[in-house]
Amino acid sequence: MENDVLSKIPMFSSLQPDTRLAISRCAFTRQLAPGYTLLIEGMPAEHGYFLISGEARALRMNPEGRVQVLARFSNGDPINLISLLSKDKANRATIETLSEVTVLVLSASDFHRLINRFPDFSALLLHQLATRLAKMTDLAADLSLYAVRARLARFLIELADLKPSPAGWTQDEIAAHIGTVRDVVGRLLRDFEAAGLIQRQGGQITLQNRDQLAAVAQEQDL
Amino acid sequence: MADPITPSINLSLCNHCTLCAVLCPEDALTMREQGPVFNIPLTCTYCLECEGLCPTGAIRAPLTVTWGAQSESINLS
Ligand code: SF4
Ligand code: SF4
Repeated sequence: MENDVLSKIPMFSSLQPDTRLAISRCAFTRQLAPGYTLLIEGMPAEHGYFLISGEARALRMNPEGRVQVLARFSNGDPINLISLLSKDKANRATIETLSEVTVLVLSASDFHRLINRFPDFSALLLHQLATRLAKMTDLAADLSLYAVRARLARFLIELADLKPSPAGWTQDEIAAHIGTVRDVVGRLLRDFEAAGLIQRQGGQITLQNRDQLAAVAQEQDL
Repeated sequence: MADPITPSINLSLCNHCTLCAVLCPEDALTMREQGPVFNIPLTCTYCLECEGLCPTGAIRAPLTVTWGAQSESINLS
Protein backbone atom coordinates (compact mmCIF):
# COMPACT_ATOMS: atom_id res chain seq x y z
CA MET A 1 0.00 0.00 0.00
CA GLU A 2 1.18 3.56 -0.73
CA ASN A 3 2.74 5.14 2.36
CA ASP A 4 1.00 8.46 1.59
CA VAL A 5 -2.42 6.90 2.30
CA LEU A 6 -1.33 7.05 5.94
CA SER A 7 -0.99 10.83 5.69
CA LYS A 8 -4.79 10.96 5.38
CA ILE A 9 -5.03 9.78 9.00
CA PRO A 10 -3.96 12.83 11.04
CA MET A 11 -2.98 10.94 14.21
CA PHE A 12 -0.45 8.82 12.27
CA SER A 13 1.62 11.98 11.62
CA SER A 14 3.21 11.55 15.07
CA LEU A 15 4.49 8.05 14.26
CA GLN A 16 8.14 7.24 13.50
CA PRO A 17 8.95 6.60 9.79
CA ASP A 18 9.70 2.89 10.42
CA THR A 19 6.35 2.46 12.20
CA ARG A 20 4.54 4.07 9.29
CA LEU A 21 6.42 1.87 6.87
CA ALA A 22 5.48 -1.27 8.84
CA ILE A 23 1.80 -0.24 8.84
CA SER A 24 1.82 0.52 5.12
CA ARG A 25 3.28 -2.93 4.40
CA CYS A 26 0.43 -4.86 6.01
CA ALA A 27 -2.56 -2.50 5.79
CA PHE A 28 -4.95 -2.19 2.87
CA THR A 29 -7.87 0.11 2.04
CA ARG A 30 -11.53 -0.69 1.45
CA GLN A 31 -14.30 1.45 -0.03
CA LEU A 32 -17.75 0.99 1.48
CA ALA A 33 -21.18 2.16 0.31
CA PRO A 34 -23.51 4.24 2.55
CA GLY A 35 -25.59 2.06 4.90
CA TYR A 36 -23.10 -0.83 4.80
CA THR A 37 -22.79 -2.98 7.93
CA LEU A 38 -19.07 -3.30 8.48
CA LEU A 39 -19.19 -5.23 11.76
CA ILE A 40 -21.86 -7.15 13.62
CA GLU A 41 -22.02 -7.07 17.41
CA GLY A 42 -20.95 -10.37 18.98
CA MET A 43 -19.09 -11.71 15.93
CA PRO A 44 -15.33 -12.40 16.21
CA ALA A 45 -13.19 -9.27 15.90
CA GLU A 46 -10.96 -10.05 12.92
CA HIS A 47 -9.93 -6.59 11.75
CA GLY A 48 -9.23 -3.11 13.04
CA TYR A 49 -10.04 -0.04 10.95
CA PHE A 50 -9.03 3.61 10.69
CA LEU A 51 -11.45 5.89 8.92
CA ILE A 52 -9.80 7.70 6.00
CA SER A 53 -12.94 9.48 4.74
CA GLY A 54 -16.70 9.48 5.33
CA GLU A 55 -18.65 8.79 8.51
CA ALA A 56 -19.78 5.67 10.38
CA ARG A 57 -21.52 4.89 13.65
CA ALA A 58 -21.36 2.26 16.37
CA LEU A 59 -24.69 1.03 17.69
CA ARG A 60 -26.29 -1.55 19.90
CA MET A 61 -29.85 -2.78 19.69
CA ASN A 62 -31.89 -4.01 22.66
CA PRO A 63 -34.21 -7.08 22.33
CA GLU A 64 -37.17 -4.77 21.52
CA GLY A 65 -35.23 -3.35 18.57
CA ARG A 66 -34.50 0.06 20.14
CA VAL A 67 -31.18 1.38 18.88
CA GLN A 68 -28.61 3.22 20.99
CA VAL A 69 -25.84 4.95 19.07
CA LEU A 70 -22.63 4.62 21.08
CA ALA A 71 -20.26 6.59 18.91
CA ARG A 72 -19.95 8.31 15.59
CA PHE A 73 -16.69 8.09 13.69
CA SER A 74 -15.16 10.53 11.23
CA ASN A 75 -11.80 11.17 9.61
CA GLY A 76 -8.91 9.40 11.33
CA ASP A 77 -10.93 7.65 14.04
CA PRO A 78 -10.01 4.04 14.88
CA ILE A 79 -12.85 1.50 14.72
CA ASN A 80 -13.04 -1.77 16.68
CA LEU A 81 -10.07 -0.94 18.85
CA ILE A 82 -11.66 -2.06 22.13
CA SER A 83 -12.92 -5.35 20.60
CA LEU A 84 -9.46 -6.25 19.26
CA LEU A 85 -7.85 -5.55 22.63
CA SER A 86 -10.48 -7.27 24.78
CA LYS A 87 -10.13 -10.78 26.14
CA ASP A 88 -13.03 -12.40 24.23
CA LYS A 89 -12.09 -10.65 20.94
CA ALA A 90 -15.73 -10.19 19.94
CA ASN A 91 -17.12 -7.09 18.23
CA ARG A 92 -18.51 -4.84 20.97
CA ALA A 93 -20.98 -3.07 18.68
CA THR A 94 -22.45 -3.10 15.19
CA ILE A 95 -20.74 -0.62 12.88
CA GLU A 96 -22.70 0.97 10.03
CA THR A 97 -21.49 3.47 7.44
CA LEU A 98 -23.42 6.74 7.16
CA SER A 99 -21.89 7.85 3.87
CA GLU A 100 -19.42 6.54 1.33
CA VAL A 101 -16.50 5.50 3.44
CA THR A 102 -12.85 4.60 2.89
CA VAL A 103 -11.14 2.68 5.66
CA LEU A 104 -7.62 1.51 6.30
CA VAL A 105 -7.79 -2.12 7.37
CA LEU A 106 -5.41 -4.08 9.60
CA SER A 107 -5.90 -7.76 10.40
CA ALA A 108 -6.08 -8.66 14.10
CA SER A 109 -2.73 -10.46 13.90
CA ASP A 110 -0.97 -7.51 12.22
CA PHE A 111 -2.59 -5.17 14.70
CA HIS A 112 -1.16 -7.14 17.65
CA ARG A 113 2.23 -7.51 15.99
CA LEU A 114 2.45 -3.73 15.47
CA ILE A 115 1.47 -3.11 19.10
CA ASN A 116 4.20 -5.45 20.31
CA ARG A 117 6.93 -4.10 18.03
CA PHE A 118 6.29 -0.37 17.86
CA PRO A 119 5.87 1.49 21.19
CA ASP A 120 4.80 4.71 19.44
CA PHE A 121 1.90 2.79 17.80
CA SER A 122 0.82 1.35 21.19
CA ALA A 123 1.08 4.78 22.85
CA LEU A 124 -1.09 6.26 20.11
CA LEU A 125 -3.74 3.57 20.62
CA LEU A 126 -3.61 4.06 24.38
CA HIS A 127 -4.34 7.74 23.88
CA GLN A 128 -7.28 6.84 21.59
CA LEU A 129 -8.60 4.36 24.15
CA ALA A 130 -8.46 6.98 26.90
CA THR A 131 -10.37 9.44 24.69
CA ARG A 132 -12.99 6.80 23.84
CA LEU A 133 -13.35 5.83 27.51
CA ALA A 134 -13.87 9.47 28.50
CA LYS A 135 -16.61 9.82 25.85
CA MET A 136 -18.32 6.61 27.01
CA THR A 137 -18.23 7.81 30.62
CA ASP A 138 -19.85 11.09 29.55
CA LEU A 139 -22.50 9.19 27.56
CA ALA A 140 -23.30 6.91 30.52
CA ALA A 141 -23.60 9.95 32.81
CA ASP A 142 -25.80 11.73 30.24
CA LEU A 143 -28.16 8.77 29.92
CA SER A 144 -28.51 8.19 33.63
CA LEU A 145 -28.45 11.73 35.03
CA TYR A 146 -30.06 14.06 32.56
CA ALA A 147 -33.59 14.47 31.20
CA VAL A 148 -34.12 13.85 27.46
CA ARG A 149 -34.60 17.61 26.95
CA ALA A 150 -31.22 18.25 28.56
CA ARG A 151 -29.56 15.49 26.54
CA LEU A 152 -30.87 17.03 23.31
CA ALA A 153 -29.66 20.50 24.31
CA ARG A 154 -26.22 19.10 25.22
CA PHE A 155 -26.05 17.22 21.93
CA LEU A 156 -27.02 20.27 19.84
CA ILE A 157 -24.33 22.33 21.59
CA GLU A 158 -21.79 19.55 20.99
CA LEU A 159 -22.65 19.39 17.26
CA ALA A 160 -22.52 23.17 16.84
CA ASP A 161 -19.13 23.34 18.57
CA LEU A 162 -17.54 20.71 16.30
CA LYS A 163 -15.05 22.02 13.74
CA PRO A 164 -15.36 21.27 10.89
CA SER A 165 -19.17 20.90 11.05
CA PRO A 166 -20.10 17.24 10.82
CA ALA A 167 -22.43 15.92 8.11
CA GLY A 168 -26.11 16.26 8.99
CA TRP A 169 -27.90 14.00 11.46
CA THR A 170 -31.45 12.77 10.86
CA GLN A 171 -34.03 12.90 13.67
CA ASP A 172 -33.79 9.09 13.95
CA GLU A 173 -30.02 9.27 14.35
CA ILE A 174 -30.25 12.03 16.97
CA ALA A 175 -32.90 9.99 18.84
CA ALA A 176 -30.74 6.88 18.77
CA HIS A 177 -27.76 8.85 20.04
CA ILE A 178 -29.51 10.46 23.01
CA GLY A 179 -31.52 7.37 23.93
CA THR A 180 -35.03 8.33 22.87
CA VAL A 181 -37.36 8.06 19.86
CA ARG A 182 -37.78 10.21 16.77
CA ASP A 183 -41.15 11.72 17.77
CA VAL A 184 -39.71 12.99 21.05
CA VAL A 185 -36.82 14.67 19.20
CA GLY A 186 -39.30 16.30 16.79
CA ARG A 187 -41.47 17.56 19.66
CA LEU A 188 -38.50 18.89 21.65
CA LEU A 189 -37.08 20.70 18.61
CA ARG A 190 -40.47 22.38 18.15
CA ASP A 191 -40.47 23.33 21.87
CA PHE A 192 -36.93 24.75 21.60
CA GLU A 193 -37.97 26.76 18.56
CA ALA A 194 -41.08 28.14 20.27
CA ALA A 195 -38.92 29.13 23.26
CA GLY A 196 -36.49 31.00 20.97
CA LEU A 197 -33.58 28.68 21.77
CA ILE A 198 -33.15 27.60 18.16
CA GLN A 199 -34.23 28.68 14.70
CA ARG A 200 -34.94 26.24 11.91
CA GLN A 201 -34.75 26.85 8.22
CA GLY A 202 -34.87 23.85 5.97
CA GLY A 203 -32.35 21.37 7.32
CA GLN A 204 -30.39 24.05 9.17
CA ILE A 205 -30.76 24.43 12.93
CA THR A 206 -29.24 27.63 14.29
CA LEU A 207 -28.66 27.81 18.02
CA GLN A 208 -29.74 31.24 19.29
CA ASN A 209 -28.70 31.56 22.91
CA ARG A 210 -25.75 29.73 24.41
CA ASP A 211 -26.53 30.62 28.05
CA GLN A 212 -30.16 29.49 27.92
CA LEU A 213 -29.31 26.30 26.03
CA ALA A 214 -26.51 25.56 28.50
CA ALA A 215 -29.05 25.98 31.34
CA VAL A 216 -31.44 23.50 29.68
CA ALA A 217 -28.50 21.14 29.16
CA GLN A 218 -28.00 20.99 32.94
CA GLU A 219 -31.61 19.97 33.77
CA GLN A 220 -31.39 16.74 35.72
CA ASP A 221 -33.76 13.78 35.50
CA LEU A 222 -35.76 13.92 38.73
CA MET B 1 -21.85 23.40 4.32
CA ALA B 2 -24.85 24.31 2.10
CA ASP B 3 -28.26 24.03 3.78
CA PRO B 4 -30.18 20.95 2.69
CA ILE B 5 -33.23 22.30 0.80
CA THR B 6 -35.12 19.06 0.34
CA PRO B 7 -34.74 15.61 1.86
CA SER B 8 -32.74 13.23 -0.32
CA ILE B 9 -34.45 10.19 -1.77
CA ASN B 10 -32.48 7.03 -2.49
CA LEU B 11 -34.60 5.55 -5.27
CA SER B 12 -32.78 2.22 -5.09
CA LEU B 13 -34.35 1.69 -1.63
CA CYS B 14 -37.85 2.87 -2.64
CA ASN B 15 -40.59 0.21 -2.78
CA HIS B 16 -43.11 2.57 -4.49
CA CYS B 17 -45.54 2.49 -1.56
CA THR B 18 -46.51 6.13 -2.44
CA LEU B 19 -46.88 7.13 1.24
CA CYS B 20 -44.52 10.09 0.95
CA ALA B 21 -46.24 11.54 -2.12
CA VAL B 22 -49.78 10.98 -0.81
CA LEU B 23 -49.18 12.28 2.72
CA CYS B 24 -46.78 15.19 2.08
CA PRO B 25 -48.68 18.19 3.54
CA GLU B 26 -47.30 20.49 0.84
CA ASP B 27 -47.91 18.21 -2.18
CA ALA B 28 -44.22 18.58 -2.90
CA LEU B 29 -43.79 15.06 -4.34
CA THR B 30 -45.19 13.25 -7.36
CA MET B 31 -44.87 9.53 -8.00
CA ARG B 32 -43.11 8.65 -11.24
CA GLU B 33 -42.09 5.31 -12.65
CA GLN B 34 -38.73 5.44 -10.88
CA GLY B 35 -40.25 6.62 -7.55
CA PRO B 36 -41.12 9.96 -5.93
CA VAL B 37 -39.71 13.16 -7.41
CA PHE B 38 -39.96 16.76 -6.20
CA ASN B 39 -42.47 18.99 -8.02
CA ILE B 40 -41.35 22.24 -9.56
CA PRO B 41 -41.96 24.88 -8.27
CA LEU B 42 -40.59 23.45 -5.07
CA THR B 43 -43.05 23.65 -2.18
CA CYS B 44 -41.16 21.42 0.27
CA THR B 45 -40.86 23.04 3.71
CA TYR B 46 -38.49 20.39 5.08
CA CYS B 47 -41.14 19.38 7.62
CA LEU B 48 -39.56 15.88 7.88
CA GLU B 49 -42.94 14.08 7.57
CA CYS B 50 -41.91 11.99 4.57
CA GLU B 51 -38.72 10.80 6.24
CA GLY B 52 -40.74 9.54 9.21
CA LEU B 53 -43.32 7.88 6.99
CA CYS B 54 -41.01 6.09 4.57
CA PRO B 55 -41.02 2.40 5.53
CA THR B 56 -37.75 1.55 3.77
CA GLY B 57 -35.47 4.37 4.95
CA ALA B 58 -35.22 5.68 1.37
CA ILE B 59 -35.79 9.27 2.50
CA ARG B 60 -33.14 11.06 4.55
CA ALA B 61 -33.63 14.56 5.87
CA PRO B 62 -30.41 15.45 7.70
CA LEU B 63 -30.19 18.42 10.05
CA THR B 64 -27.03 20.47 10.44
CA VAL B 65 -26.45 22.49 13.60
CA THR B 66 -24.52 25.75 13.89
CA TRP B 67 -24.34 28.72 16.24
CA GLY B 68 -26.25 31.84 15.22
CA ALA B 69 -24.57 35.25 15.16
CA GLN B 70 -26.40 36.38 18.34
CA SER B 71 -25.81 33.16 20.27
CA GLU B 72 -22.87 34.34 22.42
CA SER B 73 -23.16 36.53 25.50
CA ILE B 74 -21.29 39.77 24.80
CA ASN B 75 -18.11 40.12 26.84
CA LEU B 76 -17.28 43.78 27.37
CA SER B 77 -14.04 43.27 29.32
S1 SF4 C 1 -40.12 17.30 3.98
FE1 SF4 C 1 -42.32 17.66 4.29
S2 SF4 C 1 -42.84 19.13 2.68
FE2 SF4 C 1 -40.87 18.24 2.10
S3 SF4 C 1 -41.40 16.53 0.77
FE3 SF4 C 1 -41.20 15.70 2.84
S4 SF4 C 1 -43.29 15.71 3.65
FE4 SF4 C 1 -43.25 17.08 1.87
S1 SF4 D 1 -42.42 6.45 1.29
FE1 SF4 D 1 -40.34 5.66 0.80
S2 SF4 D 1 -40.72 3.66 -0.12
FE2 SF4 D 1 -42.68 4.76 -0.16
S3 SF4 D 1 -42.70 5.77 -2.18
FE3 SF4 D 1 -41.85 7.24 -0.74
S4 SF4 D 1 -39.63 6.93 -0.90
FE4 SF4 D 1 -40.59 5.14 -1.82
